[in-house]
Amino acid sequence: MKLQMKAIAIAAGMLLASGAAVAEDKVAERTDGKTPTYPGIPSDSLEAFGGQAGVDVWVDDLFYYILADNRINQIFKSHGHVERQMALNKELESMVLGGPNHYSGASMSAAHAELGITVTQFNAVVEDAYLACDAARTPYHVCNQLIAALAPFERVIVTR
Amino acid sequence: MKGSRGSKLPVKRCAALLAAGMALVGGSAHAGILDFYNDGKVLATPGVSMTDGAGGGGITPWATITGYETRDGINGNVHYTYVNLPNYSLNSLGASVGFYDRVELSYAYDILPTGSTFNTIGLAGNLVGGLLSSPTLGPILNSLGLTNGNQLVGGVDPWNTTIKMHVVGAKIRVIGEAIYDSDNLIPQVAVGGFYKWNENKALLETLQSDKSKDYEAYISVTKIFFPLSTLLNVTGRYSAANQTGLTGFGDDHKMRVEASLAYLLKKDTAIGVEFQQHGHNADGKNVTLGGGVDLTTLVNNPTLGPVLSDLGVNKGLINTLTQKESNWYDAFVAFFPSKNLSITMAMAYLGNITFTPNQTGFYISLQAAF
Repeated sequence: MKLQMKAIAIAAGMLLASGAAVAEDKVAERTDGKTPTYPGIPSDSLEAFGGQAGVDVWVDDLFYYILADNRINQIFKSHGHVERQMALNKELESMVLGGPNHYSGASMSAAHAELGITVTQFNAVVEDAYLACDAARTPYHVCNQLIAALAPFERVIVTR
Repeated sequence: MKGSRGSKLPVKRCAALLAAGMALVGGSAHAGILDFYNDGKVLATPGVSMTDGAGGGGITPWATITGYETRDGINGNVHYTYVNLPNYSLNSLGASVGFYDRVELSYAYDILPTGSTFNTIGLAGNLVGGLLSSPTLGPILNSLGLTNGNQLVGGVDPWNTTIKMHVVGAKIRVIGEAIYDSDNLIPQVAVGGFYKWNENKALLETLQSDKSKDYEAYISVTKIFFPLSTLLNVTGRYSAANQTGLTGFGDDHKMRVEASLAYLLKKDTAIGVEFQQHGHNADGKNVTLGGGVDLTTLVNNPTLGPVLSDLGVNKGLINTLTQKESNWYDAFVAFFPSKNLSITMAMAYLGNITFTPNQTGFYISLQAAF
């Protein structure tokens, strides 16, 4: 009887484990919608950023800093199509804040799958994001709404 | 699972740690310590150094691992903390190292000059000691256990009593991600411990503590809520310490709660408050002279009591020398001009420390990271 119970327990455990492995990271894998954070991102965050126009300027500033950042610029350059990366980021950053425009790019995991990004490299982009907020004169607390909205993507962008 | 935060195998991490150790010992010219150096954490996210030397806030350890390293390397720092209270000043000097944002080791040496705070004990001891040569009172004192000369009071050096304590600490991050899991309420969790040993055994006996060295264990839960620019930490500390061990340890470990709340004004500036629950092992106790005899025993003795009372060793003196311990609070401002330096200044509201109440004072801590 004991052996049967053990077998059932092991089978159940394996089922659960495989289920966990297959279960998606819904928030990090998504390609539309505002990021559901705790607490929630205020509905006027995109407006506080200056709307789509403000996000566009911020992304321009972000890529200025990224391309000037020797820790990570080669990753972006060797990936190529920097202009397209910037255009997609403008859509994505507005999307995560609850903006109306459609994001036409790939999921963050698909887009970063082959790049072997480390936490160190991801953090470098976060630092450049804060520099971009300084440059665009985006208030720190508004900037943190965007950081909160993008943060879950770390789980799928970092693969090394 | 691709991209899973746990994708770096523990085996790989252990191998890296072993290699780091071997590189240090073997002194290989190529696989030097610089290969393991990493300062990739975002500014301010490792916290600062708390008074026992671990990474965290000012007085409480957090679930963050000290140092600016991410899981890609190793980083370390040194710190100096100074607290100026009406009756004591604390100097804490220490160093800590973070390994792969997973394991932390720390050391702190606390030096607490007490100025003339304990002089009253010395005076009482001298007074009672003088009575040892009395033909009538001497034998009574002897029978109670007091047999030494005038130096009845252990560990008290008038105008020069300094408390010194060493603390070694270790912490392991167990689960969770304090920074990037903005879409769930799962915090970062770490467990850790301290081993503390106090050099002034004699003074701690005088203050009636049970031990001069002891361990503490804690579990910390930390999370940053970016939409609020706020960090919250709650720590449960299993401890028997009196004033973090500076005045000794009791016999019984109990769970005590601590909390930090920090609000980021800017990426390099934070303000906040902290709370630390303290024990009451020494509450109501006064001091012992010589053979473990406390003032209450002396004053209550039918023969000695009246004589001592005339000399000033009476209930009034006992009142003066009755100990009490309060919970600690602090309100701080922390500034991070770079990853290499942090400056934390606070008002430390520490309440009763041994016999002295109203211990409110200035706290400053400097941490320099590699």
